[in-house]
Amino acid sequence: MMCTAKKCGIRFQPPAIILIYENEIKGKSRQRIMPVRNFSKYSDCSRAAEQLKNNPRHKGYLEQVSLKQLEKLFSFLRGNLWGQSLAETMEQIQRETTIDPEEDLNKLDDKELAKRKSIMDELFEKNQKKKDDPNFVYDIEVEFPQDEQLQSCGWDTESAEEF
Amino acid sequence: MARDKAKPCELDQEKYDADDNVKIICLGDSAVGKSKLMERFLMDGFQPQQLSTYALTLYKHTATVDGKTVLVDFWDTAGQERFQSMHASYYHKAHACIMVFDVQRKITYRNLSTWYAELREFRPEIPCIVVANKIDADMKMTQKSFNFARKFSLPLYFVSAADGTNVVKLFSDAIRLAVSYKQNSRDFMDEVLQELENIDLKREEEEEEEMLDKEQPGRQQSPSPS
Repeated sequence: MMCTAKKCGIRFQPPAIILIYENEIKGKSRQRIMPVRNFSKYSDCSRAAEQLKNNPRHKGYLEQVSLKQLEKLFSFLRGNLWGQSLAETMEQIQRETTIDPEEDLNKLDDKELAKRKSIMDELFEKNQKKKDDPNFVYDIEVEFPQDEQLQSCGWDTESAEEF
Repeated sequence: MARDKAKPCELDQEKYDADDNVKIICLGDSAVGKSKLMERFLMDGFQPQQLSTYALTLYKHTATVDGKTVLVDFWDTAGQERFQSMHASYYHKAHACIMVFDVQRKITYRNLSTWYAELREFRPEIPCIVVANKIDADMKMTQKSFNFARKFSLPLYFVSAADGTNVVKLFSDAIRLAVSYKQNSRDFMDEVLQELENIDLKREEEEEEEMLDKEQPGRQQSPSPS
């Protein structure tokens, strides 16, 4: 079954993931409501997202919707169940999916460090040139001259003595 | 080969004295991309050896420098860096150091001074390269100056383990520096020995002259120092 996903969102009451898609044959917008069952404020959003995506009844429709997006939608629902405002939930998602550049990762335990690394891995994979890419070059050299005129990185201390 | 066996392996650091062996260590904070850099350089050829008892990962590599085969051991941290200090054996007999920070995180740059101080405590003279990693995430950082490298007159490389920019150059240069450090420190010992010999030769010459003074010209005797 071929369909082009247009939009995907969440309805809080009663909870459902809603997909707006286009049926390629008819070229007409359609809506699919996928009820969310057995989801509480203690549920794991990434597991819920996986289950929905692999659900035999919805699978075909959700092919173009990323697991990340579904996970995020479940996070909105979860936040709502906790009584958080949308802004609060947004902020929380932001915190959990980005790296705080000021945070000292040396101070984290293995689990927390692994979380940060997986966030970093996303960008890494996005920018990664793999060996089987057609334009892959093993040895890429680019010169970045460190001239005197360059602007400082701003990370050095004021005094010239210290770096 | 014996070294590929999964048996808890003894860390034999004596081998780093051999001519064709060099040891290169990686330093830097957690998650700056040290292992990613190693993997990008070695590609398919990488077979890391986890030495959990030593909290380190070893990568073996064979390189060719000036037509000679060099066996390179890259030492990578395995979590111990979070204490911002490594065990003395990590530095032991190292011939070069690759010191990495993340251009997206200031703290990893600021911590270079701690890493550098510890490195110099154990290895005052070995070549050290400062590496600004993850430039793919923020290319603007390559247009900035970093005083740390300048202050200690260290080479600074802008690299990306993701897209590969300057990774091969970094490691090839590090190997070259390690080999030349090893040769030069040998040269230094040679010089010392040579110097000692020269002193002996001079003394002999002086004695010879004295003898020639006493004896008739034309007849030479080899001096026999007592």
